[in-house]
Amino acid sequence: MIKIAVYGKGGIGKSTTVSNLSAALAQKGKKVLQIGCDPKADSTISLRHGKELSTVLDTIRKKKDNFTLDDVMCIGYQGVACVEAGGPIPGLGCAGRGIITALEKLEKKGIYDVVKPDIVFYDVLGDVVCGGFSMPMRSGYADLVYIITSGENMSIHAAANIAMAIDNFKGRGYAKLGGIILNHKNVKSERAKVEELCEDIHSQIVGELSFSETVQDAEPMKKTVIEAFGTSKMAEEYRKLADKILSRQG
Amino acid sequence: MKQVAGLISTYSSDEFGICSALYELGGMVVMHDASGCNSTYTTHDEPRWYDMESMIYISAISEMEAIMGDDDKLIHDVIETAQQMKPKFIALVGAPIPYMIGTDLKAIAAVIEEETGIPSFGLEANGMNGYLSGISMAFDAIVDRFCKKEVLKSTQTKVNILGATPLDFSLNGSIDSIRRWIKNIGMQTGACFAMGSSLEELSKAGKAQVNLVISYGAMEIAKKMEEEFDIPYVVGVPVGKLFAATVEHCLKESLETGKSQVVCQKYKADIRSEKKAAIIGESVYATSLAGEIEQQYGISCEVLCPLETEEMILRSMDKQTPEEDDLMEALEGMDIVIADPLYKPLCPKKASFYPLGHIAFSGRIYENKIPDLIDREFEETGGLR
Repeated sequence: MIKIAVYGKGGIGKSTTVSNLSAALAQKGKKVLQIGCDPKADSTISLRHGKELSTVLDTIRKKKDNFTLDDVMCIGYQGVACVEAGGPIPGLGCAGRGIITALEKLEKKGIYDVVKPDIVFYDVLGDVVCGGFSMPMRSGYADLVYIITSGENMSIHAAANIAMAIDNFKGRGYAKLGGIILNHKNVKSERAKVEELCEDIHSQIVGELSFSETVQDAEPMKKTVIEAFGTSKMAEEYRKLADKILSRQG
Repeated sequence: MKQVAGLISTYSSDEFGICSALYELGGMVVMHDASGCNSTYTTHDEPRWYDMESMIYISAISEMEAIMGDDDKLIHDVIETAQQMKPKFIALVGAPIPYMIGTDLKAIAAVIEEETGIPSFGLEANGMNGYLSGISMAFDAIVDRFCKKEVLKSTQTKVNILGATPLDFSLNGSIDSIRRWIKNIGMQTGACFAMGSSLEELSKAGKAQVNLVISYGAMEIAKKMEEEFDIPYVVGVPVGKLFAATVEHCLKESLETGKSQVVCQKYKADIRSEKKAAIIGESVYATSLAGEIEQQYGISCEVLCPLETEEMILRSMDKQTPEEDDLMEALEGMDIVIADPLYKPLCPKKASFYPLGHIAFSGRIYENKIPDLIDREFEETGGLR
């Protein structure tokens, strides 16, 4: 089982990218589990065509421990198992602690044994803002972390922070940094800026995604690019990135 | 009202269950909590505190350390102290603050072990669960880190006692009485988790042929040792004469068959009275006591368990009563109530109340009034009359 956590600044395209990677790998016959680790609970929306899905934390709130995996998981496009950790009531509680509880509960309910995934994606909220959001990179969860960034300064700063968190945790048996995914926003000197980031954090660009209207066209259809525009150039880029990530995991 | 204890006390927490379970094993136990929180344990819940040394520490986490997630101070303090004290192991115990900020105690323990070479583990208590889950976590860690499956079993019949802590058995001699009783039925006590046995003795628990579970806190390790070491378990406390005889019978049967069993599901009740009694408390002890009373006095006994337990331990008439409201409802119509004295406010007016102190509930307040009921007629004890 390959376990990958994907981090990056809010709005950079993590969920879109991860969902397309899941769809691409599922098309190749891989069993994929995608766990959204964001209180917004919209990571898997394009894989499940907008179909309602109760989040793990909402379910715990309503049913305490009396629930099954079927209550919090649905099977989306090409058999991708979709789960959303969810979060507390907006403005209250602790979102980070919520992620820890959700991931621990899923493990206790035996999700990895039941789904038997070849690949698990943890799609994690913007930045490692507190202990809870480091959970997907802790021992027993992801093996590698990929950071998505564009050439925008805020996105690069977020990526640097995430890389710093990973570096702080060395010696704890946490996930290692797998590399940077450059999601182009067509800003000036974009590649050079991200290459500079890579140099600073001793990493490398493992894949690039173009700024494309195809992605925006797929969104209102509540589908991934892989499903909606499977023969497009963009779909090909996602497939190429999926292959690259798979090959890097050995 | 749910989750409100308006009239009664609350049970000791998972944090203190861990400390109690590990107290005698020569390890360094560090509660990662604000200073002051440990005094509840040391003052109220740990009767050994003034007479027996133990390396129980508190990290005294400060507000800013919590806000900033400063794990380095904890790591540094633990390493420095461990290098001086040379404990046999280091246990980092969680509490509400590290729980809420998501401190990864297991990862921190791995860092400390790497640095000191001392076996270290993180126990994810949060101060919001009961003491039994803490005992369970602590024993589980000991079995995982120190016990091996022994290929060579003892030539004599050895019984491990699982679940001994003062939180359930006080220091009234009950555990010594269980050891004596085991000797009297022709067997030997192997390891006792965890009173009166050293860590080295516990590490040889795999040599025993059968485990005796005397508290629900040890249920998980009993199951683990059954699965990994092929040791069957018998669940029951040898209280009174008749129930002790039933426990003896079950131990001998399990030795022959290799199958585990719960004693309170095995005895035959001889109900001769129209009176109804309720026993409130930890499930293994309470159901054992119910078994003795039903056999000896012919009074029907219902166990009301406010703590963690599972279906196979309770009999059909017993109830899990986690809330004060549930308890009050279940006590209606009872003629006799046997419980810790702090439960008395819930006792119906017409019912007779028999106090049976429980350290995990009332601390040391009634410490001197907890009778040793092991293998004895109750009349002898001066306790339950």
